[in-house]
Parts: sequence; C-alpha cells; structure tokens
Amino acid sequence: MTNALLSVRDLKVSFPSETGTVDAVRGISFDLEAGRTLGIVGESGSGKSVTSLAIMGLLDENVRVSGSITFDGQELLGKSDKQLSAIRGNGLAMIFQDPLSSLTPVFSIGDQLIEALTVHRKLSKRAAWARAVELLETVGLPNPEGRMKSFPHEFSGGMRQRVVIAIAMANKPKLIIADEPTTALDVTIQAQILDLIAKAQSETGAAVIMITHDMGVVAKTADDVLVMYAGKPVEKAPVHELFHRTRMPYSIGLLGAIPRVDKAEKQPLIPVKGNPPLLINLPDACPFATRCPIAIDACHTREPDLVSVDNDEVGEHKTACIRSHEITDGGLIDGHPVFPVPDIPERALAGVPREDRPVTLEVRNLTKTFPLMKGAFLKRKVGEVHAIRGISFDIREGETMAIVGESGCGKTTTLLQIMDLVEQVDGDILLGGTSVADVRGGHAERTLRRDIQIVFQDPMGALDPRMTVADIIAEPLRAIGTKKAGSETRVDELMDLVGLDPTHSNRFPSAFSGGQRQRIGIARALATSPKIVVLDEPVSALDVSIQAGVINLLDELKAKLGLSYLFVAHDLSVVRHIADRVAVMYLGAFVEHGSVDEIFEDPQHPYTQALLSAIPIPDPDVERTRERIVLSGDLASATDQVGGCSFASRCQLFKVLPPEKQARCLGEVPPLTGPENAHRNACHFR
Amino acid sequence: MIVVATNLTYFLAWGFLDPRNNYVGRRPPLSEEQVVQLLQPRNLSDTVPLLERWWSWFSAIIFGWDWGVSPVGQSVNDQVAYRMWVSAELVLGATILATVLGIALGVYTASRQYKIADRIGQATSIVTMNINIVVAALGIVLLAIGFNNMVGTTVFFVTGSSSLGVTGFFPIIIDALQHLILPTIALVIIGYAGTHFLQRSLLLDNINADYVRTARAKGLTKAQAIRKHALRTSLIPVATQVAFTIPTVFMGAILTESIFGWNGMGRYFLETIAKNDIHGTVAIAAFGAVLTAIGALLADIAVVVLDPRVRVS
Ligand SMILES: Nc1ncnc2c1ncn2[C@@H]1O[C@H](COP(=O)(O)OP(=O)(O)OP(=O)(O)O)[C@@H](O)[C@H]1O
Ligand code: SF4
Ligand code: SF4
Ligand SMILES: [Mg+2]
Repeated sequence: MTNALLSVRDLKVSFPSETGTVDAVRGISFDLEAGRTLGIVGESGSGKSVTSLAIMGLLDENVRVSGSITFDGQELLGKSDKQLSAIRGNGLAMIFQDPLSSLTPVFSIGDQLIEALTVHRKLSKRAAWARAVELLETVGLPNPEGRMKSFPHEFSGGMRQRVVIAIAMANKPKLIIADEPTTALDVTIQAQILDLIAKAQSETGAAVIMITHDMGVVAKTADDVLVMYAGKPVEKAPVHELFHRTRMPYSIGLLGAIPRVDKAEKQPLIPVKGNPPLLINLPDACPFATRCPIAIDACHTREPDLVSVDNDEVGEHKTACIRSHEITDGGLIDGHPVFPVPDIPERALAGVPREDRPVTLEVRNLTKTFPLMKGAFLKRKVGEVHAIRGISFDIREGETMAIVGESGCGKTTTLLQIMDLVEQVDGDILLGGTSVADVRGGHAERTLRRDIQIVFQDPMGALDPRMTVADIIAEPLRAIGTKKAGSETRVDELMDLVGLDPTHSNRFPSAFSGGQRQRIGIARALATSPKIVVLDEPVSALDVSIQAGVINLLDELKAKLGLSYLFVAHDLSVVRHIADRVAVMYLGAFVEHGSVDEIFEDPQHPYTQALLSAIPIPDPDVERTRERIVLSGDLASATDQVGGCSFASRCQLFKVLPPEKQARCLGEVPPLTGPENAHRNACHFR
Repeated sequence: MIVVATNLTYFLAWGFLDPRNNYVGRRPPLSEEQVVQLLQPRNLSDTVPLLERWWSWFSAIIFGWDWGVSPVGQSVNDQVAYRMWVSAELVLGATILATVLGIALGVYTASRQYKIADRIGQATSIVTMNINIVVAALGIVLLAIGFNNMVGTTVFFVTGSSSLGVTGFFPIIIDALQHLILPTIALVIIGYAGTHFLQRSLLLDNINADYVRTARAKGLTKAQAIRKHALRTSLIPVATQVAFTIPTVFMGAILTESIFGWNGMGRYFLETIAKNDIHGTVAIAAFGAVLTAIGALLADIAVVVLDPRVRVS
C-alpha cells in the first residue's frame, strides 16, 4: 500500500443545495500505482466526475470534502488553491469530457499550450515554443508548427481533444485523470484518442484514472475497475474478474443491458428497472435495493460495506452486497439469472419474406445541398455543402432500417428531408406508394403526414415544459382534428402502451426521468397510428440501464403494431441489436447497404470495417486480442466536391494499393454495387 | 448612417414642430404675411414645399457646412460650436467612467458571488439604476453645497461649465474639473449599474466555463485563471454594449445640463424644442448620432484588441 502513487481514503463530497445536502460521493477508497489504469464506471450522477474534481481540488469552496487524498506522499485535502496549483498540471493532469468547450476561445492553441509549460517552470520563449510544437506532434496533429497560431474554433472536436491531451502531457505528469475523454466524439475518433492516451501513459509512465460510462472503454483500457452507484463504489475488481466473475447485481445489470456489436443472436436486452435514488438524506439501506431483483429484507436495514468476496482467490475483488457470495459466474443465483430475462413478443411478420411485404417508405436519389455563405453583413455564396449526395433505399412493413455514420455525415439532414416531405428534383420520396410530389398542401398532405412520425434525440429538449403529458401526446391528434373526448382515451391507451402510468397524464415533463420522457416522445409519435416512425438517435442521451428498456420497448412496439422504423444512430451496438437493414453513410452517401447480419459479419467497405473495429467490446479478452483498424485523420468536409472516392483521404485499403489502382480511387466515384436488396458496397476493390 | 438619421430627424422635426407657433398670441398679432416674411429668409416657412425647404437646408450643409438659423435668426453653427465641446466632455467622460466603474464592480462582485460584498454591490446598483437623474443631480448638488460650506470655500461648482476670468493652463483645467465633477458623478451614478450587471453575469458564466477549469487544471490559481481566461472573454460583449449606452447617457445629459446650468447641447435641445427651432433640433440629433458612432468605433477597436479571432479573419 505504501508504494501507491495515489491513495484515496473514505472520500466524501457533499454539496449544499436548496432541497438539502446532496451527498454526491459517500465514501470511496482506492489505491493506484504508477503505470496502472483504474477505470471508474457508473451511470450519470453516480459521482464519477465529482470524485475526479475532488482529487484535482477543482471543486468550489462551499463544497464539503472529507477523507484523505494522498498523492505522491502529500496529503492534498486541506491544501490551499495556491499550493495545489503547483501540483495541478505538473504531477497531476486532467483531460475533460467536452473538447469543444475546454479550450479558451480567444487564445491560440500555441499560447494555451505554452502557458501550461511556463506556469510550472522557467523556459525561454524559444524553448517553450519548441516544446509545444513537439507536444502537438506527439499527439498527432498534422502540421504542428503551422497549427500553433490557430484558434480552437478552427479545429474539429477530435483535434481539440488532442490539444487538451497535449496540455495534460506537457509536464510529464505522474497521474492523468481522464473524465469521459471520448464521450463527445465519434467512434473512429474515440479509437484514436484512446490509443493516444495509452501512448501518453506509456511515454510518461503515468497512472491513469479512466472515467467512463462505457463498459467497452473499460474493457479496453482498465487494469482495475471500480463500479460506482449512488456515490459509492459497489464493486471493485481487476478487469477480468469484474467482467467474468461479476458478483454485484448492479454490475451484472449494467453488463446485461449493453447491446453487443459482436453478437448476432437477438436476445432481448435486460433493463434495470427504476432510476437511481436522489442523493439527499439517503436511508441506511442498500441504495440499489429498490431496483434490485434479488433484494431481501436485510438489504433495507443497513447499507452494505465494500468487503472482499468470500470465494475470491485474488483477494482484490470487493463488493457492497450482502448476497454476493450466493451469486455465481454468469450472473446466476440459485441457478437462475439475477435479472429475469424479459420476453419479446414474436413478430407477426417474422415468417413473411422481405420481398412479399409491402413497401412503407421508398427514397429514390435523395439530394440536398446547402449554399455556403460568407460575410457578416452582405452574405454571398462561396460554395455548396453537399449534405446528401443522392441516396436511395426502401423500408418494408415491420422492418427497421438504420443509417449509421459519424457526426456531420448527413444523417439528420436525411431524416429532415423525409419528414418535411421535400419534393426532389431528380428523385422521389414515396410513402406507402404515394409520391410526395403528387400531394401538395391540404387534406391529402395531412393524411400522408399521419403515416410518418418522428422521435427526437434529446428527451429533455423535445418536450414543451409548459404542457402536460396528456397535451403533448394529444398534440398530433389535435393536428389531424381528433375530438377532445376521443383523444383522452387514446392518450391513456398510448401511455399504457409505452409503459407509463396513465394516471400521471396530467403531470409536466419535468416530473419524469430521461427514459420516461423518451417514452412520452414515443407515445406522441404513435398517437396518429403511423406506419413508419423515424427515430433520430432515440437512446443516445440515456444511460445504458435505461436505454435497454427503451430499446426493448421499441422492439415490442414493432412486433405488436407492425411498425417500420427508420433509425439513425452512431452507436453501432444499438443498431446491431435493433435493425434489420443497415446503411453506412459517409459524407452524404451510402458506402455500404444491406441486411444487418451481412454488414456486421462481413463488412466489405473499408470504412465499415474501420467503424466496426473501432467499437470497444465490453469483454476484456475479446477487446484486447482483436485486430483493429484505426483510421487516420478526421471526417473530410462536405464542401469539397470530390472527383473520386470521398473516403480516399482516410482509406486504409487505399494506402496499400498499387498506384494505378489508387488513380482509379481518386478519379472515379465508386457506385454502390452488389446484389440488390442483399449487400451492396461502394468501393472499387471490394 | 449619420446622414440618414439626420435627414430623418429633419422630416420628423417638421412633423412635430411648427415655427409659426412662435408668433401665435403675439401682441399686436402679426399678420400672415409678416410671419411668412420673417420665416421665409430663414428657410422655415411652410409656404415653401417641404422638399424644397429640405434641399436648401441640406445643400447648405453639404456645400457650406451651414446648419441653418433659428427662428430668431441665430446661427446654429455658432451655437453648436462651443456647446458641442461642453457636452462631449460631459457625455464621453461620464460614459468612460461609468463603463470602467461598472466593469470593475462587475469583476469584483462576480468573484465574490453571494458574499456580503456582492450583495451590497448588487443592492446599491439596483437602487442607483432606478434613481431618477433629476433626483440624483439634486441630491449631489445638496451634498456638494454642504461640503463647500463645511470646508468654507467653493470646491465644487454647482452651476455652469466654467468660471469667467480664469487664465493659465492649469487653473483652466482645475476649474473645468471643478465644474465637471458633479454632473459627471450624477451621470455615472445612474449609468454604471447596467454595465455592472452585465459584466457580473457574463463573468459568472465564464468563471464556470470549462476552459477556466482547464486553465486551473494546467496549474493556474483560481484568481489567475479568472483574470486571464474568463475576464477577457467576458469583456467582449460588454465592449459592444457600451456603444449603445451613449445615447442613454446623452439623454441623461439633457436633464443634467439644465440642472447644473450648463450651456451644453442638452440644454440647447430643450431650448430648441421650446422655440420650435427645427434646424437646432436637427443639429443636435446629428451630434447625438456622431457621439454614438464614436462610441461604436471605440467599441469596435476594443473588440479587436480583446478578441484575436477577429484579427485573424
Ligand atoms: N442549415 C445548414 N446550413 C449549412 N450546412 C448545414 C446545415 N445543416 C447541416 N449542414 C451540414 O450538412 C452536413 C450534414 O449535417 P447533419 O446535421 O445531417 O449531420 P449528422 O450526421 O446528423 O450529425 P450529428 O451526428 O452530429 O447529428 C454537415 O456537414 C453540416 O455541417
Ligand atoms: S445488498 Fe441486497 S439490494 Fe443491494 S445489491 Fe445486494 S442483494 Fe441487491
Ligand atoms: S474506392 Fe478506393 S479509396 Fe474508396 S474505399 Fe475503395 S479502396 Fe478506399
Ligand atoms: Mg444529427
């Protein structure tokens, strides 16, 4: 224990608030040795970030912190801001979640990096500049010398995160705390950044605290894992132990709730019912008891301590659960799974082959360009953004079609074009066989609109806080002219359908949790009994345990009502779980399109291959041994009109091709080729 | 912009003011002919079509820098020439002081959020913001008179913008300051609070910004991080706003000048309105527009100094 670099003992943090003291962290202890990585996982609000800020000493003065934090032999708690500032950025560095806001907008990248150097040591201007350039080079920023004078807004999220990492590495810290460093980034960029952090760690020999909610990231990076729930660690173990011999119901639930990108069979996800408790005046009971399927009376009388699991040979596996010793590998208790597996109704249409089902939505050669404007006062057009470059697909009844791709690839624009029933110049959108070009305005258009409804990403922002849930759900009904009496019974029906209590219909959205709000959004979309529901990242704002419930609901509704979904997501695990057909989008065009298993089992386009290999799999054995393609560079810009393959700048296959074949990539736009309706890709050489 | 605004005021002024009213109720009453005879040479007679009047007024300004005459024949140029400096001194001085004070207070109170100093500062600003300029000015006059009596000599002058018969460079400056100080204080008192609140809330937003946290994580102390990273960003919108406070200060100056017996543009404004002096009114509007333009220019310069991103693009 003495050789630990960082030693945290019984750390408690509480915030004063209007409704009472919020005990955000309620006693956490761990040791971390140099060169090792501790993963801290847990849902939002479980106290991960507060723990890291407490270690950094970045909490406000009115926050109460107790316990002990020893770093490199010094006690950090009780030090003044000035004393701490000598350690921060020097021995102790931090990488924050949102790279878009973590750099000062009015200072150049170089200035901010040099500041990190000179605040701790005297350096000549020239030496500081040289070291800063060197750091930018280490983090893989192209043309570092020229980038020194750039401002943050000229950089993409991934590039800014590289700069933040360069700042963290500046003084060769002994400990790097990374608080959700990749949550705001796309998977291919996430893979780059995680590799970079690993590189920073190996170069400096630093210890790393990796805070995340993504079990895949933990499986990939951590040596030891700490699972947090309601401000306390509930399970702590070396990474393989944790994933293979999980002993605490909450951790089991967390792992069971994650859709797996590497598993073909469609088992229902196992949601953890209920929500985490509020951290005010918690009773002396297991905080998970209200959600725990195996809770017994004793769980409600005392909060369990974090103690060693009996049958554990390594001696490092600890849980805070009084029934841990009864749980066996695979999450079983008395031979039954801790979490009962919900059953999903079999689809009515499952037996009917795809070709025999009616087409609900057909899109032919959808295109959208935005004019690119410049100048503040007199705007003039300087170019065009090709947001969508001609995409075609169809969705059959009872089918889920997913569009995946990185941010900015044109997913949302596609959905909006379809939702707005935008007439196409050289293409068409057909809803149930009716072309949008044939219906303009009035009754016909309204009838058409009934058949297509949308669910938005952000469950908080999409609902008007001043309307009751009943009003929100009834809104589309009113829009098509349903009488009040009729809509009331329909609202109750819908709330019941999406798993909400109909007696709560007169409450306001603020009274509901994130998952419940998303259910309200789904109920609203279902109000007009549409044939097709468009879902724009419906679960990406939700915690995994909640997300699983919503995904199951979507599955269930599809089976019950024979709905078709058009689903947009960047999380490929979710897509694999829910979709029947997938299109991979890159810079406004499909690069691969086919049935879900074809695409995930046999990805053909180099981009799809890279995308799939970038997703961390929540299993340390699989994750650490599989081969990986890490793409270089960022998403290219949609402004460029490319004469060849738009992926060429990042393509890993392109790099190994002979020059004459490369010339073809650059000179000829690859069309989607392959068997229609089965599996097509847009690469000349696949 | 200034040209357009001025011309617009010209037409507006003709809509509201009528020089003819000056002669209503004269004893003995003037005949229609006499009135027209008096007004026509001054380009103030409504017997001439409005557009023609406007053109002779406008062309005189463009070609001869002649802003016309009042209904009694005084040259507007003469009037404005010396009043202008009197007012500019007051308005610009007060704006700069109010801005500096507002920013300073904003920074001070923001870094002591919810502490006693912050609460006192906020309460005071709420009070001063709602004080009427007349009340503020009179209060200051009373205090100053009290102070003068106490020390037994006139430290603060409560009327006029300068004393007669003062010579020498330093005596003139000191004299000017003695006159300037009270009306300036009055204007600053009612004017600083807006900047204070804006600066305080902007800085508070920025203190909690992620990049300030990054700066602290680098090893800057909280105070350094705020001074270097949060303050700079929060000053940019404040600088832009200052340009728009100048018209407000100018309006305040109108009343202040009357109270302190200054012969400035503000008082001139009241007089011209009362005397239906269209050319005078328009000249004042033009002066206001110029002041605003100067303010906007200063703000632009400040933004360029503060925000290097503007320089790059
Ligand atoms: N109103 C607009 N004006 C100009 N360009 C736009 C506009 N809306 C979108 N774009 C551009 O169109 C492209 C596609 O944007 P879109 O919002 O569809 O991406 P996305 O895949 O939904 O991204 P995310 O995952 O971040 O939501 C981007 O390059 C974007 O900058
Ligand atoms: S202590 Fe009881 S309620 Fe808590 S996790 Fe264990 S079994 Fe469940
Ligand atoms: S066409 Fe060429 S550049 Fe494009 S994906 Fe195929 S190999 Fe790569
Ligand atoms: Mg989007």
